[in-house]
Amino acid sequence: MLLMIPLSYNVRSLIARKGTTLASAFGIALVVFVLSSSLMLSGGIKKTMGNSGRPENAIVLRKGADSELASTIETRQVNLILAAPGVKKDEAGAPLGGGEVVVVIAVEKIGTAGQISNVQVRGVSDNVLKMRPEVKIIEGRFPKPGTDEVMLGKSVRGRYTGVDFNSSFDLKKNRAVQVVGIFEAGGSSFESEVWASIDTVRSSFGREGLVSSVTVRLESPAKYDAFSATVESDKQLGLESFRESAYYAKVSSGTSIFVSAIGIVITVFFSIGAMIGAAITMYAAVAQRRREIGTLQALGFTRGAVLTSMLIESMVLAAFGGVVGAVASLFMGFVKVSMMNFATWQEVTFSFDPDPAQIAVALLMGGVMGVLGGFFPALSASRTNPVIAMRA
Amino acid sequence: MNLATLAARNVLRNKLRSVLTVLGVAVAILAFVLLRTVIWSWTVAAEYAAKDRVATRHKITFINPLPLRYKSQIEQVPGVSEVTWATWFGAKHPTRDQEFFQSIAVDPKSFLSVYSEVIVPAEQREKWLGNRQGALVGESLAKQMGWKVGDRITLTGTIYPGDWQFDVDGIYTVKRSSLDKATLWMHWDYLNDSVSPRQKDQAGWYLSRIKNAGDAATVAKRIDALFDSQDQQTLSMDEHAMNASFLGMFSAILKAIDVVSVVILLIMMLILGNTIAMGVRERTNEYGMLRAVGFLPKHIGAFVLLEAVVVGLLGGILGLIFAYPVVEKGVGRFLEENMGAMFPYFHMDASVAALALLLSVALGFLAALVPAYRAMQLNVVDSLRRVG
Repeated sequence: MLLMIPLSYNVRSLIARKGTTLASAFGIALVVFVLSSSLMLSGGIKKTMGNSGRPENAIVLRKGADSELASTIETRQVNLILAAPGVKKDEAGAPLGGGEVVVVIAVEKIGTAGQISNVQVRGVSDNVLKMRPEVKIIEGRFPKPGTDEVMLGKSVRGRYTGVDFNSSFDLKKNRAVQVVGIFEAGGSSFESEVWASIDTVRSSFGREGLVSSVTVRLESPAKYDAFSATVESDKQLGLESFRESAYYAKVSSGTSIFVSAIGIVITVFFSIGAMIGAAITMYAAVAQRRREIGTLQALGFTRGAVLTSMLIESMVLAAFGGVVGAVASLFMGFVKVSMMNFATWQEVTFSFDPDPAQIAVALLMGGVMGVLGGFFPALSASRTNPVIAMRA
Repeated sequence: MNLATLAARNVLRNKLRSVLTVLGVAVAILAFVLLRTVIWSWTVAAEYAAKDRVATRHKITFINPLPLRYKSQIEQVPGVSEVTWATWFGAKHPTRDQEFFQSIAVDPKSFLSVYSEVIVPAEQREKWLGNRQGALVGESLAKQMGWKVGDRITLTGTIYPGDWQFDVDGIYTVKRSSLDKATLWMHWDYLNDSVSPRQKDQAGWYLSRIKNAGDAATVAKRIDALFDSQDQQTLSMDEHAMNASFLGMFSAILKAIDVVSVVILLIMMLILGNTIAMGVRERTNEYGMLRAVGFLPKHIGAFVLLEAVVVGLLGGILGLIFAYPVVEKGVGRFLEENMGAMFPYFHMDASVAALALLLSVALGFLAALVPAYRAMQLNVVDSLRRVG
């Protein structure tokens, strides 16, 4: 059986060289931190947009429109859509669904010198809460139907000049809306929107007779195919339907891929740097310990045992750095990022979403760097000639 | 042999370690240059923007157009020399629908006059002016899509439904970087004739050439004042401000890249400082000897610092040598050709390269400060006694 050099030998060696150990571990910690953070943000984008879509809801847009903002559907088509098979009815027998008008308004970001940002305003029908039960008022009250009252998603609050609870702002010249409530919506992108009554938005933006999209609650997710077939069958109408969850996955994919791509490119460079750092440390560690290693070999430890031991030492170093980096990245969970979602042209607030699988990937990456960085120094250690080394 | 050569020779003492360190610094510098170039190329559009053009859009929302009659009113504003208008068309390639590019409907004649930086061969220009279904395509977009002059192309409208036919009449390039080379310009008439009555005779935004670049802010105010009493109020700003406000929507990403580019320099300092510290520790004996023969602590400190600066400089130069082809040929080419809408110009700017080189030397110096101080504090007797 192969005799192993005890692990405590490696750990104590690392502790003996505190300074260089910490420097190299810190390098690896940074790699793991960056990789883990960017994967968390990418996950956060998917989750925020993904939370907006419910599997039992379907959304209908004009064919070819790539987002609600670009889509227009004539109001007289709304009833045809609501009459399609699979649409759930409420107790009174009315279909659960309705048209929504989506626009963006330019507002000034607080803390910037006149920086203008686009906030999405959604004109919703009176029965919207039946389709989106996750929407809850956390301050104030729901707007009264048929009035110019609006409510703000909680992420909008405090970010833009003049857009706050109990304040009022213009959707059109001399048509001010009053903010009477703040709502949350299960962490979805709706929390980055302003919700008003559909008629208010329609008349403010000259959209009389039009809606942007139609959202319906289905009897069950399985009814989607029948619904979709009916809605899309009439080519004259020129409509296209999506499962709501698929629609939001589609509009978030560009931004989310972009963020992960940047993160991965940066990680590649960081990891080369950190690997070189680890290699330098391990080479020095081996060089300083030639005599020790020679002694170990004289005592009967094989070359394989020396190689393994040195590799383990490098991995312990990397694991230490990796854990520090991963733990640090978890603190990014408290940070919120407000940026534009490419496909919808709206500013959305995203959070870093920790995912055990992604953190494991980042940790693994740290371990791999330890092995790669430590391999050549370990090989060099295992080739020590005991006689020469002990004489030195 | 003077101090500098001694310091330089020290670099060659442990060749493997020095090579690794120089490589580490080089990789960090490469990454730094790449990240800074991303920021540079993103902001360059704002920097290069024409200062003598004022854009006018709908005050409350960019998705609502302005009436076409505003044009003649803007033309009357003192300081304005010429006005053109444009509407966002938003077309997509029918099969390659993931590749975003800008397609904008313009009034061709006034467009070419206000955008004087557009270069297009006279013959192609005439053809485009005379063909309602003509498209003027940016050089890099044409390359990306494989379009040639004379091609008949079909695009899908995202805002204006259906299939739209175009003739590629001209391929343009630009005189100044104030315009990207990745946009498709079509005739506004072609669009206007096909839309519903309520969408007719409207302009997405106006662009005014002004007589005096310094007056942009005043002219913008005058234009907005003109329409203040109208139902559709306007928001005007010079092109620089407009581009900057567009960039503001990406400020979170830009800030993150900025932070990361500083962090990579930190990693570089760690690698360098670590190497120098190891060298100092191993050479304790030698430094004692040097002190014993009469060198002063300041000489020892200078050895250490010089060595670090040499390694930093070598790494910086090597990093730039790596970075140049990567930025200019590899990543840059790819981004300009495939994401021209977002990165119209992706070059290694001299300012970025100079900053990288300066930082590699300065950070080498900084990283060596602690080891140098330690080496200077060494006691001659102790360091001679110490077994390395």
